[in-house]
Amino acid sequence: MHQDQTVERFTVPIGPQHPALKEPANFLITVEGEIVTKAVVRLGYAHRGIEKATESRNWVQNLYLLERICGICSHIHATAYCHGVERLANVEVPPRAQAIRVLVAELERIHSHLLWLGVAAHEAGFDTLFMYSWRDRETVMDLLEELAGNRVNYSVNVLGGIKNDIDAGQTQKILAGLDYLEQRTRHYLDVVTTDAGFLQRTRGVGVMTRNQAEVLGTVGPTARASGVARDIRVEAPYAAYDSYPVKLTLEAEGDLEARFVVRIKELFECYRLIHEVLDNLPSGDLTTRMPRRIKAAETVSRVEAPRGELFYFIKSNGSDMPERVRVRTPTICNMTSVVKLAVGHQLADVPMILAGIDPCFSCNDRMVIVDRGIRQQCMSWDALRRYGIAYYHGNHS
Amino acid sequence: METIPSFFAILIFPSGLFLLVAGLAYEWADRKLLAQLQNRIGPRWFQPLADVLKLMAKEEIVPDGVNVPLFIGLPIIALAGALTAALYVPIAGLEPVRSFPGDLIVTLYLLSLLTLCIGLAGSNTMDRFSVVGATRTLTQLISYEAPFLLAMLGPAIVAGSWQISSITTYTSERWLLLAQPLGFLVAIVGLMGKLEMPPFDAPEAETEVVAGALTEYSGRGLALFHLGKGVEMVIGLTLIAAFYLGGVTSPLLFLLKTLALLLLVVVFQALFTRLRIDQTVGLWWRYGVLLVLVQWLIVIIGQRLVS
Repeated sequence: MHQDQTVERFTVPIGPQHPALKEPANFLITVEGEIVTKAVVRLGYAHRGIEKATESRNWVQNLYLLERICGICSHIHATAYCHGVERLANVEVPPRAQAIRVLVAELERIHSHLLWLGVAAHEAGFDTLFMYSWRDRETVMDLLEELAGNRVNYSVNVLGGIKNDIDAGQTQKILAGLDYLEQRTRHYLDVVTTDAGFLQRTRGVGVMTRNQAEVLGTVGPTARASGVARDIRVEAPYAAYDSYPVKLTLEAEGDLEARFVVRIKELFECYRLIHEVLDNLPSGDLTTRMPRRIKAAETVSRVEAPRGELFYFIKSNGSDMPERVRVRTPTICNMTSVVKLAVGHQLADVPMILAGIDPCFSCNDRMVIVDRGIRQQCMSWDALRRYGIAYYHGNHS
Repeated sequence: METIPSFFAILIFPSGLFLLVAGLAYEWADRKLLAQLQNRIGPRWFQPLADVLKLMAKEEIVPDGVNVPLFIGLPIIALAGALTAALYVPIAGLEPVRSFPGDLIVTLYLLSLLTLCIGLAGSNTMDRFSVVGATRTLTQLISYEAPFLLAMLGPAIVAGSWQISSITTYTSERWLLLAQPLGFLVAIVGLMGKLEMPPFDAPEAETEVVAGALTEYSGRGLALFHLGKGVEMVIGLTLIAAFYLGGVTSPLLFLLKTLALLLLVVVFQALFTRLRIDQTVGLWWRYGVLLVLVQWLIVIIGQRLVS
């Protein structure tokens, strides 16, 4: 009898298609009643081959391609890429351009965090908060549109500078928008720290100790909610962050509530930074000249995306195209923590714990090679075709 | 002689067509009000009807590994149970069509039939989400059922009868809400649990178990369950309005009082975060039962003191 119970496992597949996931991923959750005993994650459903595609486009074209890795944090991808390429080309970007990059990055962070607040509230079944936070997100979307002409892929960066200047009228609109958002954010902080029903779902749920956060290699707000002082804007200031220093937002508890609090408090830091940038905006050029070809070299570019550290490795070979671009998004760093933390919690908490890291699957999906006895990793087109036919034939017969 | 009025009562009013339409209308009101509270626009007035018509027109897919007669029969039984319950309830402020001593208990159990059918429908399929959803549905059933029943029996005790028509005669002169506020609270929240409305929507929490027990249902079966819930909402609101809000003696009073109750339900839906299933059980057995027992104690002591 006891033997039977251990053998018969009940596995709930969350994904690849599931209402809790806005993008495809697969979580195999083994449950005993409602308690999760094992969680396995399988990624790679949204692999788009962007890294490979960069190798057949020139430096400028790649900027637009890489900006489309993520729909939410498009600017930070372009910034990471620009910083890397500018360093390879030994180009110094004018201070005004650096400052405006920071400004847009912080507006984007506001947009991302408000979006996350809504999604996480929805996972908890608190749709009222979801709707309200998304309504207020429209404010910052409008500001970004005002500034760049686009709501999502702002396309503010160019290699060697930025495209859009900012005038007095736009400054006024941003300040007015920030005042409204600041007041709303204060309300949301109040909601997530005092609403008894919501706290039942977040306080003490998914606790990650500081040690665990470090061992699992978590980044961004997920790590900061466990008291790990890790923020690229502070550790290795890029763009104009050394002129506008960032105050770290840390929480020690490491539970879901802390992740809410960290992100909402970061919003206040965003508002403060934007005020500071707008008050002390350096004057000068927006762009410098970029060479078309870049001599053979390699570099690493690290920036702080809304979800955590975004890492770019860029290698040039002297031509007008990169030899290799490697992108590591924060979601992949945080994903192991989900699988680890889910065990021992209830099935109902799994979507919340997953949402707690603010996952962005199609950004993190990379090529996965599943070894099915075919040793070679490079295949000719014909071999790939034959393999594909054999694979599907085998599966369907 | 008796057949024509009976058929009318079953097929047109108060059961049957009228209740189906009323269910859809109340569902629309529920969705629209909730949307307004959540800063959304909400559906147009015919949306629930359009949903049902669309589902009816669609192919009903019977998945592998189910007991087919049960799979097809359960939605029909669920809707029939809810519609039958309407015969004993003063729908639209009119006298119940059928009445006998003890019909309150029968009505309440006919209302539970829907939940039982949903639970059974979920366990009937092989789908994991359905099975988890069904487990949650039935867990929730055993947690709210007893407090809800006790809360509905509170008025019966003071009225000295377990017959709905005589209870409503007694309550139409008195607002029991004032005498039994705790019972009223438990009854209205119990109704929300019965209808699996937020915050008691763990059994069908889309972010966890897709559509819960009804995940495998499509087409006609889903439409019938859907209609059943609408019907049950109307009956539940009618019963609570009749028992606690000074009775529903005319169609206008019926409309006003049930809509006022619906507004209260919507506000609760908008205010609270979904409860985990263990929290639901805890809430009912820790607080729900306690509240309603305190209410009973007060009622019984009050009666002793008066007599």
